[in-house]
Amino acid sequence: MNNAIIVMKKELARVFLDKKLIFSLFILPAVLMFGIYSIMGSMIGRFSSDIMEHISKVYILNAPEDFKEKAENKGYFDIADVTVLPSDTSAETITTVKDDILNGDAELLVEFDKDFINTASSYKNEGDAIPNVTIYYNTSGNYSNAARNNFVNLILDDYKNTILSGRFGGNLEVLNAFNVKNEVIVNEDKANGEFLGMLVPYLIVMLLFSSAMGLCVDAIAGEKERGTLASLLLSPIKRSELVFGKLTALSILSTLSAIVYSVSLILAMPLMGSSGTMSELNMNVHFSAFQIISLLIIMVALVYMYVGIISVISVLCKNTKEASTYISPLYILIIVAGMLTMFQGGVEKSDLLFAIPVYGTALSIQNIMTNELTALQLAFSAGGTILAGVVITFAIAKAFKSERIMFNA
Amino acid sequence: MIEVKNLTKVYKLSKRKMAELKTKDSIKRAADGISFTAKPGEIYGLLGPNGAGKTTTLRCIATLLKPTDGSVAVCGHDTVKESTKVLERIGFLTNEIKLDPNFTPKYLFSFFGRLHGMSESEIDARRNELFKYFGINDFEEKKIEELSTGMKQKAAIAVCLVHDPDVVIFDEPTSGLDVITARSVTDMLASLKERGKTVIISTHIMSEAEKLCDRIGVIIDGKKICEGTLDEIVNSTGAADLEDAFFTLYKENHKEEA
Repeated sequence: MNNAIIVMKKELARVFLDKKLIFSLFILPAVLMFGIYSIMGSMIGRFSSDIMEHISKVYILNAPEDFKEKAENKGYFDIADVTVLPSDTSAETITTVKDDILNGDAELLVEFDKDFINTASSYKNEGDAIPNVTIYYNTSGNYSNAARNNFVNLILDDYKNTILSGRFGGNLEVLNAFNVKNEVIVNEDKANGEFLGMLVPYLIVMLLFSSAMGLCVDAIAGEKERGTLASLLLSPIKRSELVFGKLTALSILSTLSAIVYSVSLILAMPLMGSSGTMSELNMNVHFSAFQIISLLIIMVALVYMYVGIISVISVLCKNTKEASTYISPLYILIIVAGMLTMFQGGVEKSDLLFAIPVYGTALSIQNIMTNELTALQLAFSAGGTILAGVVITFAIAKAFKSERIMFNA
Repeated sequence: MIEVKNLTKVYKLSKRKMAELKTKDSIKRAADGISFTAKPGEIYGLLGPNGAGKTTTLRCIATLLKPTDGSVAVCGHDTVKESTKVLERIGFLTNEIKLDPNFTPKYLFSFFGRLHGMSESEIDARRNELFKYFGINDFEEKKIEELSTGMKQKAAIAVCLVHDPDVVIFDEPTSGLDVITARSVTDMLASLKERGKTVIISTHIMSEAEKLCDRIGVIIDGKKICEGTLDEIVNSTGAADLEDAFFTLYKENHKEEA
């Protein structure tokens, strides 16, 4: 055991005595996360304010007489450049306007029925004529969509209210059968936990693996390639001590790196949108001691197993290039296993499923987030993963003893 | 003390390897019934051309390879059954086994000392002695990757002698070194011999074998062809020097592949 600690310390020293490695493993990811999210945030912000500030080009055919007055009152001319087309406008002109909307040169064409106001006001009995307003707009154009919404909300709703108010003698309450009141009863922690429960298992399962990848390939296949692993094999220590020391150090490093990633990811998220949904999310979830401890146990077991899996592959490969080639497809499998849990919320899972490494881990993290993890599930999940880790440790120790694998003999 | 008895090491060859070696045999006998004994206070040399089986033999002694047949004992311990005890007593230096380039000679010296169960004060004393002898103090805090070939070799030798082993195994100890560094290595080997250590080296450099080795075993195609002191080998072949003797032995014993 003492020897395992000596080996572990050396593996840790490899990183912590090297300023470049500290920077690339722990500082650069955080800087990148914040950088990416602030750029994304400012781009989203610019995009939405650009739409708000855009003056839409709007054509109105057969505009009611009081249209100008209404539009003026509502301040519609501030956000739209309105062209009123006379009722005798030629079909060619209409086609040109429609083409402009398709090409993005104009945003909106609104066609009122002739004698719109009179038809609407003279409605008395069932079967009387109801006038039409036809709106031509481009659903694939952001400006056009916004222009349509503005026109409906500012102008048409106003017309509707005026006409209905005339029809019912000024009392619009006649139209309201009842009010619906929504009183939300929710456990804030669980609601927020559910969002985190979707995101966090996926992030942990994925980020832990990606952090472990580079480190392990270099520490095993890289050492083999450089001929430095053999110098360790010449030391009078047990191969299992050597493996355990190396894997423990790699687990610590991968965990630290994954923590840097996750924390900066979650902290940087509000930078994404100043007005979007992201900033409205309440991230203040309160975790109980049991939740935190369970999460730690599960993460430690998982990272050790990951490190083990990558190391097994690395030890069987001749060099880092070969190892990376085999590990990349495995990474995709891990991502899929993490994603499976994202879209399986709500369905009752058998406790035994929690014992499946990776998948069970993601399930457990999900339940931790919503505070639904039972002690049995935790035991199954941690047990299954630790068992896998132990088997892998001995497999690597056996591979270290194989002269064919170590010396290509 | 190293006792090699009837050492045989057979490799199974993959189809690709068979094509590489232009052979139809699916096995290669890298060592074929080699026996010899190296005693404390002497330098034993394995002399042979490239691919003769010298490195395989040394790796079997260093527990890295398991003999297919026969046995190897170091200080009375079997290399297969008591490999840890063997590893405690040997220092093994070979070109293919390198020091981790990310660390300094000083760090690695302490690291391997600790793995050998030495205390910090023992390690310090040993470092003072060896680093001074090889002149490593000047670059003890530089990373291995920044060192020249000669510096690397010096550091590697110091590290492999950290635990003052009874048996020292050097595979081509001076290959790739300049004359000055090579000389300090051979001087070190001579001083180890003076101190009663068992030293075994492999080489294909005749002058090195002539100068250093008390006894020489000539290995050709995995077999030990002859053994003796320099004079015995030269006299038995009727040659003028070791190089001529070696050529005579090589012509007599090397079979061209069909």
